[in-house]
Amino acid sequence: MERKQLAPGVFITTLDASKFNRCRITIHLRFPALRQSATDTAVLPLVLERGYAACPDMTALSRRLAQLYGADLGVDLSSAGTDRVLSADICGIKDAYALAGENLTDAYADIVFGTIFDPYLVDGVFDAEAVRIETETQARRLEAEFNSKRLYCVRQARRKFFGDSPAGIELGGYPGELIHVTPATLKAEYDRILANASIDVMVQGADEDRVAGLLLQKLQGMPRTPQPFAPPMGMPQTPVRHYKEEIPGLTQAKLCMLFTNGDIPDPPSVSILRVAMSVLGASATSRLFRNVREKRSLCYYCGSAAQRATGVMMIDSGVEPGREEEAEAAILKEWEDLKTGPLTQEEVDDCRRGLLSGMDALEDSLAALESWYYGQITRGEPLYPPSYGKVLTSAVKLDEVRQALQGYHYAVGYTLTAQPGTQGKGGADDVQ
Amino acid sequence: MSNDAMQAQFAAAQARAAAAVGCERAVLPSGLTVLCRTMPGYSSVHAIYATAFGSIHRAFTLDGKPVALPAGTAHFLEHKMCETPQGDSFSFYAKTGASANAFTSYDRTCYLFSATQKIDENLDILLGMVGKPWFTKATIAKEQGIIGQEIKMYDDSPDWRLLNALFRCLYREHPLNDDIAGTVESIAQLTPQLLYSCTRAFYAPSNMVLSVAGRITLDQAVAACKRNGLYRKRAAHEVVWDIPAEDGPIPQHEAYFQMPVNKPCFGVAYREPAADPRDLKRRLLLDMVSDLVVGGLTGLYRKLYDGGLVNPEFSGDFIAVRGACAVAFTGESDTPRQVADMLQAEIERIRREGVDPEVFTLVKNQMYGQLLGDVEGVEDAAEEAAAACLRGCSLADEIAALAELTVDDANALLRTALREENRAYVQIDPQESAS
Repeated sequence: MERKQLAPGVFITTLDASKFNRCRITIHLRFPALRQSATDTAVLPLVLERGYAACPDMTALSRRLAQLYGADLGVDLSSAGTDRVLSADICGIKDAYALAGENLTDAYADIVFGTIFDPYLVDGVFDAEAVRIETETQARRLEAEFNSKRLYCVRQARRKFFGDSPAGIELGGYPGELIHVTPATLKAEYDRILANASIDVMVQGADEDRVAGLLLQKLQGMPRTPQPFAPPMGMPQTPVRHYKEEIPGLTQAKLCMLFTNGDIPDPPSVSILRVAMSVLGASATSRLFRNVREKRSLCYYCGSAAQRATGVMMIDSGVEPGREEEAEAAILKEWEDLKTGPLTQEEVDDCRRGLLSGMDALEDSLAALESWYYGQITRGEPLYPPSYGKVLTSAVKLDEVRQALQGYHYAVGYTLTAQPGTQGKGGADDVQ
Repeated sequence: MSNDAMQAQFAAAQARAAAAVGCERAVLPSGLTVLCRTMPGYSSVHAIYATAFGSIHRAFTLDGKPVALPAGTAHFLEHKMCETPQGDSFSFYAKTGASANAFTSYDRTCYLFSATQKIDENLDILLGMVGKPWFTKATIAKEQGIIGQEIKMYDDSPDWRLLNALFRCLYREHPLNDDIAGTVESIAQLTPQLLYSCTRAFYAPSNMVLSVAGRITLDQAVAACKRNGLYRKRAAHEVVWDIPAEDGPIPQHEAYFQMPVNKPCFGVAYREPAADPRDLKRRLLLDMVSDLVVGGLTGLYRKLYDGGLVNPEFSGDFIAVRGACAVAFTGESDTPRQVADMLQAEIERIRREGVDPEVFTLVKNQMYGQLLGDVEGVEDAAEEAAAACLRGCSLADEIAALAELTVDDANALLRTALREENRAYVQIDPQESAS
């Protein structure tokens, strides 16, 4: 496995996909997030996904993908620390299964590169109608966040936690700024991304030379000054801040607790964090699952996750309204016990086994394999297979787990709960 | 290319596709069906042990004695099966590194694991746990707390509440009316005796399927069944179970209620005649009908999307279980009633003018690609094979049946399906003081 450099800031990595029925091509563009253009950045994937110069109509593109036996095209925006990653991927069945002998893989490459590099433009800017429609779509998406209370609680907690920090720039943009998104501002943001992005193409089951040739052809003559990846950061330690929001008619309360690692130059490795989270709350053998959920029945879900790039650890849970403080105390106790109390090799090994098994299984999924290797690229690590990931995970020591957990400081607790007297009882009876 | 050559090419590709979704099958003397899809080059194994027993199984006779179950019994049983006198099955899986789970749907309960090592040990945990049920009053009481939390979590999900309300509009008596997990009150009625009645009736090998996929062979799976007492023929209990199909007018055409949401959510559902699950043709047609009417390839979807009338996730689906069959469309909209009317108008137009043959062919293409994609991962390969088996067919049968479908079949279905008189409409409005 090798990440080959094709040009400054342009790389291609080919992964074996011989055993799969389908193939996949993914392109990632990583670039620095900017507060002032965050809303344009958020709308851009929606406009790009509608069509491209050679196939500008959304329905025509859907039909083209259906002709290719239902190939999946996706354009997404995600965060990598304080950077953003604009990704486009296409996945479809291999040529061998084409009922009429079509060359499917060439068509996949044309579509995914067309989507990113040949957008449909009218007079040099994005199509005004497409921009209008997709800003409205984004407005509806942002509004819909409230409908999923678990997601809403997590996002509200993160807003309080990150505040005005670069890591707090909203991935979905800002509702009040959607009105300012125009075909020209969107084109300016698109140009900024293409000029500044570090580009990685991941090829699975398609011809690397053909894909590389097409990529270089698309980039020819494009002015580019690729930026380095943003380094990991962390929010400073502060006294704990609690927030409570009451919602009429809510049945289950949500509690999201965020912890900071502080702004340290060298956060724990991803292997240490994986094992630490597995012991604390990310597995069915974790302390939070066994003790807070199973023994005390305090929460239906109670899980932990850590992000190395932003130094944050999150524990979110679904709790009986009125018992939020009890749940918070129980969660903090489990965390304290792991920091200072007994921790056995057997307990860590029980949690670690699931991680090791999961790494073996990565080889069995196109998407998981791609994500594994691109994850290493985003962390600036040399590429290594899941088998070496197992070696690193197996080498994590008890003290490293403990130290990683000791490094966090509780910063924000956000509670969504029922307005008194309005709580649902469970088993709603909406239609008699 | 000549016509003959094209046909030969088509047949060869179809044969490769059938092989790509195929699996080995054995029916043991006990009646247990074992399915195995050996996947060369794969590292992991996924196993699913499933019974045709779900939330709609609410009344049956066991050896001549009637048994009535409260809502949520199958789901409750699923939780309890993971517990043994020696401890929780998750703690056993922790020693092997397997990732385990279970789920309950309307008509089946499935126990599963994914693992890359100690496969025989994992199979023993799975088959041993489900084969030796153990229930006490104390452990049932403990589980009622956790499941109560789960029920409350789903209570806050507008999608879930919408679906339940739609079923209540479509059916008077059918157990689809009740939530899969039941209610806090209904699960409080459960006793060890009731749970044992269910396992005797529905956890008999002849009612179950073990489906495995990945780095495993059929011999390995059968050997595990032998080790766990699932091979030899055994005396079966006599179980009588059925749910009559409902006819006549649907009980309620419209329902409205409020929830803490900030945009109206709505659903439109049509009651269809209950079908034989082995009727693959009808099943596939019902599966594709929502895509033919308002899928991403249609003009109506484009009109709704570009007009900002629905959220991007607006879509249709269908459900078919014993005694019930429905096609439902759900989404969010500021003008839900208008969308429901546009949907009905489009259905009537297609009924008059016929399905667009191009859209029909493209939807068929998509389904073909999806069937192949579904079996690429070990999880989906095992689960799809088990689901097909419980429906009485195989994935290869589905590929063959799909190839046979014509636009005339779709038009024939639409002559009787998606009728306005069988339509229910449910709307969830934002609670007035919600943000």
